[in-house]
Amino acid sequence: MESHRDPLCDINRTSRRLVIFHLLWPRRTSVDALGLAYMNEEIMSESWRQHRKHVFVLSEAGKPIYSRYGNEEALSSTMGVMMALVSFVQAGGNMIQSIFSDEHTVVFLQKGPLVFVSVSATRQSEQQLRRELLHVYHQIVSMLTQASINRIFERRKNFDLRRLLFGSEKVLDGLLDVMDSDPSFMLSAVQCLPLPSSSRDALSHILQKAITPDLVFSFLIANNRLVSVVQEKTVLEDARLKPSDLHLLFNLIRASAFQAGEIWMPICLPLFNHDCYFYAYVAYLDPPECTVCLVLLSTDKEAFYAVAECKRKIEEAFASQNALQWVANTQLYYVDDISVANLRHFLYKPSKVLDHHRHPEMEVGYRSQEERIRLLDPYRNMHNRIHSTSRPLKLIYHSAGKETLLAWVTSKFEMFACFTPLVTKKSAISELTKLLRWIKKEEDRLFICHLPKYSTAPQPGRSSTDRGSSARPNTSDTGLLSLL
Amino acid sequence: LISPRMASGMQEKQYTPSLLSFFIYNPKFGPREGEEEKKILFYHPIEIEKNEKIRNVGLCEAIVQFTRTFSPTNPAKSLHTQKNRQFFHEAEENYWMVMVVRNPMVEKPNKDGKPPTVEYQEEEIIDSVYGSVLQQCYCMYKLFNGTFSRAFEAGGVELLTQKLEKFFYRYLQTLHLQSCDLLDVFGGISFFPLDKMTYLKIQSFVNRVEESLSLVKYTAFLYNDQLIWSGLEQDDMRILYKYLTTSLFPRHSEPELAGRDSPLRPEVAGNLLHYGRFLTGPANLKDPDAKFRFPRIFVNTEDSYEELHLIVYKAMTAAVCFMVNAAVDLNREFCEQLDSLVGPQLTLLASDICEQFNINRRISGPEKEPQFKFIYFNHMNLAEKSTIHMRKTASVSLTSVHPDLMKILGDINCDFARVNEDEEIIVKAMTDYWVVGKKSDQRELYVILNQKNANLIEVNEEVKRLDMMGMDYFTTLKLSIVQVLLTASV
Repeated sequence: MESHRDPLCDINRTSRRLVIFHLLWPRRTSVDALGLAYMNEEIMSESWRQHRKHVFVLSEAGKPIYSRYGNEEALSSTMGVMMALVSFVQAGGNMIQSIFSDEHTVVFLQKGPLVFVSVSATRQSEQQLRRELLHVYHQIVSMLTQASINRIFERRKNFDLRRLLFGSEKVLDGLLDVMDSDPSFMLSAVQCLPLPSSSRDALSHILQKAITPDLVFSFLIANNRLVSVVQEKTVLEDARLKPSDLHLLFNLIRASAFQAGEIWMPICLPLFNHDCYFYAYVAYLDPPECTVCLVLLSTDKEAFYAVAECKRKIEEAFASQNALQWVANTQLYYVDDISVANLRHFLYKPSKVLDHHRHPEMEVGYRSQEERIRLLDPYRNMHNRIHSTSRPLKLIYHSAGKETLLAWVTSKFEMFACFTPLVTKKSAISELTKLLRWIKKEEDRLFICHLPKYSTAPQPGRSSTDRGSSARPNTSDTGLLSLL
Repeated sequence: LISPRMASGMQEKQYTPSLLSFFIYNPKFGPREGEEEKKILFYHPIEIEKNEKIRNVGLCEAIVQFTRTFSPTNPAKSLHTQKNRQFFHEAEENYWMVMVVRNPMVEKPNKDGKPPTVEYQEEEIIDSVYGSVLQQCYCMYKLFNGTFSRAFEAGGVELLTQKLEKFFYRYLQTLHLQSCDLLDVFGGISFFPLDKMTYLKIQSFVNRVEESLSLVKYTAFLYNDQLIWSGLEQDDMRILYKYLTTSLFPRHSEPELAGRDSPLRPEVAGNLLHYGRFLTGPANLKDPDAKFRFPRIFVNTEDSYEELHLIVYKAMTAAVCFMVNAAVDLNREFCEQLDSLVGPQLTLLASDICEQFNINRRISGPEKEPQFKFIYFNHMNLAEKSTIHMRKTASVSLTSVHPDLMKILGDINCDFARVNEDEEIIVKAMTDYWVVGKKSDQRELYVILNQKNANLIEVNEEVKRLDMMGMDYFTTLKLSIVQVLLTASV
């Protein structure tokens, strides 16, 4: 059984696999007018210059691979300059990190044979921008695996990686767009759908029952929020699935933009294991609205039919219990029942083992997407200050013209809140206290508090180490989904 | 068996930021290939091999050009690498100054003879602080040498490189990068708080002297290393003030306080009429053969471009600067005239000020001076006050708070600089210290409170109290400042 060796044994096999890729991820079509506009945008024009954040990907040999705006081929001399800067500093036994000017921050990241550059006017910190570049790298790894990237460039320094990433620009575009608008990345957490725990348990139960050998994860996602997750216990041992990997998975699914039917696609989860593939079965359970998505991850490339069967069982069970209604009916919470008149918006992340955050829809003030995105800037600035590696803080209270902002980190949670500008400190604190009490009360409904497990019968001749899922040490404080 | 290293104690070694290199170049001077060396007008350290100098300058040019791709009018200001940080400043059109600072680092010893691991601490350097230090290097050069372009016009590259070498060789040695902080960003002036009466006395003294000595173009009056009155433009006064308080005054500490037989006393001994003496120019008026000259300074370089003699005359803790057109030849006669005119008056004035200051202190009581640790800066008049810094000279700036807290102040100042609004930022540090930053009306106030168990509301009350208490103090300050502004515009 071929199992989990990297199928990319030579370039030919690669191109075969990539045909599948190509069908699954339609490249920028004329329908995607905006994408096309960016691709053909004249570089060095005023409009090109004014984009808030440019991201460039190139190889160590200076060959262009990707540019968020503008055609990367047209940018090859600019990218050549970037590579020259990197090499020059490297030649001095040093490493280039960033360049600052009044309006822009340029951040460099090198991972193996790939170089990433971000030119940003968002005033995010160097560390935050570098983390975004790392996500871009991981997204590329999720499509190709780290081992094959390294091997390809080892054999041919001049390789044009665009050949392998053909059609995937949309994935990277999508990732960059969502990083600019979703606070989940800043918090290293995944947002979940609030559900009474009984409903969630029932849904998890359905997932747990519909399994097959080599199935390792089952996810239920509704409206980009996590509803339920179940995990195979034996095969994965103590391995952890990080929010960053989930974001990459969600982004791939979003970018594929399919509606009816199902997808079977290889995906590498870089933080979990950057050298091998999972195979993801993805289907929407509620066409044509397509808001509830089922994702089943298997380690067996040939298991499509077995996994599709699991989906059918799940669908049946959902139908019989009318489970889709629970998910569809769940209200995005309004914090009306507690009087927090001055509070406009907040983000909350518990520091417990499972990291999920939530931000509610608020009745007044910041309903619009633009406002929420605008708030990200000051939130990110506070996040950067409060989590500084050399001088971290416990609390920040910032009163400014437009609003009053607060950031607070304790051993139990981390939160960011936005109040009306004229709020007094007393009111702000009292409303915050009420809010925290409310969150505590609703905890079960708002967060996924535990991870149900299941086990599939072990196959003969297979050891758990074959899965490539070596027990990974519990790294840092970035969010984790863990086995309990 | 104890290894020698173990016996000496396996200690971590902390390295503070230090100057790696400093250079000045103009790309227009060597635009063609093979001419690169001509661009370099000054380079420290001088021992660096020529090609390496050219490469380092080339890197800076490349970085500036690269950032112009995205913003033609706002090119790079700093480059961060793992080991060092480079700051760029286009002091005049096409004249670039670059300062390279080694990042602070920690060297952790390794066992078994392995070389120690080095950990670079990039976050410890705040760009705004060192960027300001670099800009100040230019201002100080310009104060004593005029602009780069004028030197070039007068004597080409040769004259310019000569001037740069002469100035920076010495000046760079006075940079103490390990103790730069928020005050370097402000580059402010400490004003001496005075009552109206005394202020008017000083005003009329200045008027009288300027009337009697018609050669005097501008005057500045300082007491106790703090400014009371200045006839110069703000930006010129600011850099002159830095020179006086960090270089000139420390070199001439009070000989009045020296013992009778001290060698510092000679100029005072002979003259029982007053305590006045020259800090620049003739050290001893009694010696007819002694040669002297006054330092030249350049002010108003943006418009009238004036070169002046800088006469600094001191009596006790009062110091007056008289600035005279450099074209005039200042001879011994003039100095004696100044000495006999100013000496007695200044001596009297100095003791008047001292007396009045003590009276005021006694009246208002010591509580008048806020007991808080704070830093205040007013962008409009450059007034600065810090109760955190205990002694600020060119060499050392001792602060009474942990350096991390000063860096937090630096961070808050950076956040304030982003928008042009009134704001308040309160933070609680990991050590439970509270830091409050307030920006309103072009003024910034930073307060550090060591109240570990206080909550946000209590902290707010404390700072309000400071504002109220400080009101009178600041009112006095504001009064003298208003008068400075009024008279400067006359």
